Amino acid sequence: MADAGSPPNRCCPICLHSLNQNSYLDTCFHEFCYNCITRWANVAASQCHESQKSIQCPLCKTENFSIIHGYGDISFQRHYIGMDHKKSFTLSEAHRFRLQCYSREPGALCKEIDVMKYWKSKGFLRKTRWLQSWVQREIQALIHEEDVDIIVHHILGVIESFLRRMEQEHQCGTPEQKRDEFKTLAFGAATPFLNEITDRFVDELEIFLAAGLTIEAYDELYLQSWIGNQPSEMVERSNQTTGHWVDLHLFDDDSDII
Amino acid sequence: MQASRARLFKEYKEVQREKSVDPDIQLLCDDSNIFKWTALIKGPSETPYEGGVFQLAFAIPEQYPLLPPQVRFLTKIFHPNVHFKTGEICLDILKNAWSPAWTLQSVCRAIIALMAHPEPDSPLNCDSGNLLRSGDLRGYQSMAKMYTRLAAMPKKG
Repeated sequence: MADAGSPPNRCCPICLHSLNQNSYLDTCFHEFCYNCITRWANVAASQCHESQKSIQCPLCKTENFSIIHGYGDISFQRHYIGMDHKKSFTLSEAHRFRLQCYSREPGALCKEIDVMKYWKSKGFLRKTRWLQSWVQREIQALIHEEDVDIIVHHILGVIESFLRRMEQEHQCGTPEQKRDEFKTLAFGAATPFLNEITDRFVDELEIFLAAGLTIEAYDELYLQSWIGNQPSEMVERSNQTTGHWVDLHLFDDDSDII
Repeated sequence: MQASRARLFKEYKEVQREKSVDPDIQLLCDDSNIFKWTALIKGPSETPYEGGVFQLAFAIPEQYPLLPPQVRFLTKIFHPNVHFKTGEICLDILKNAWSPAWTLQSVCRAIIALMAHPEPDSPLNCDSGNLLRSGDLRGYQSMAKMYTRLAAMPKKG
């Protein structure tokens, strides 16, 4: 999908052949083959004694700090200069799936999951074991970093202290007030890291909590909700696993009764 | 190795296609070895090298274009940044300022620019550099002109 949009006559300034796996430098946006520019970055780094954190553009000498490549409609990969020895972080299929969820209109799961019911029935008294892994995956996908432990720890800390407070003082406050307080707190915790996508993240977080599902089941539910208006490869994938999802959805209803 | 070959072949085709674009540069690839090239460049006008034709030898490393080609003058030249005996050239883009976006053609252009604008502060030819640094422009020009006539011009008669 990255190569599809480029006209055939554009050449890489390094190999002089048609661009292969187009990639851009992050500051000057000059374009090269991914292999050509990474090989040049390695050679340039090996000629310096100190470890390099930047690369000079072969065309304009601008200092650049990363190579953007493997880009599609909603995601891209980033190769930081000087990180070659460590395995650079690439988005998994699950990460890309979540980004796709964010790129769509919100409210896909509204029919499936009654968020207000979660607050009215004090669903938050149920522990969600999968929250940490889920938040980690969301943050990784949204900010495209592998090491997000500090951010996850911070957001979880805020959520958990809120839920703990809810456990202790469950009489006071209407469900609506609790919900608003939760959203405000989660927003405050996440906004320094997620910026304009924070609102949507908080909505997704609430839905995930209200669903009370495992990550796998939650993803399946999401896929299900797309059927009908999005007959793509996603639908195909979800059809194969419908049975699995139905089971888990029943489990969800049961747990709400308790 | 494969990458450098492919790139040099591309440059070869480009040179064949655009032969007349830059009449001051004539690039020739060795018949049997694509890593050996020679170039004939015309001395830039309004310099002591005007009227001369200078031959350059390119030895291209296997890692080209990630590493620069080694270029030297085969024709004797009196220039502050060219070694008088070996023809070695002191030019930043052939060393630490190399970029893989340079081509053999553009390297030739850079060398022509160096001929017109010597850098006497990093001399390989100290005699030439000292003449310029001491302000003896006439002395430098007449020496350079003499060697151009002796080495870079076709013998008359």
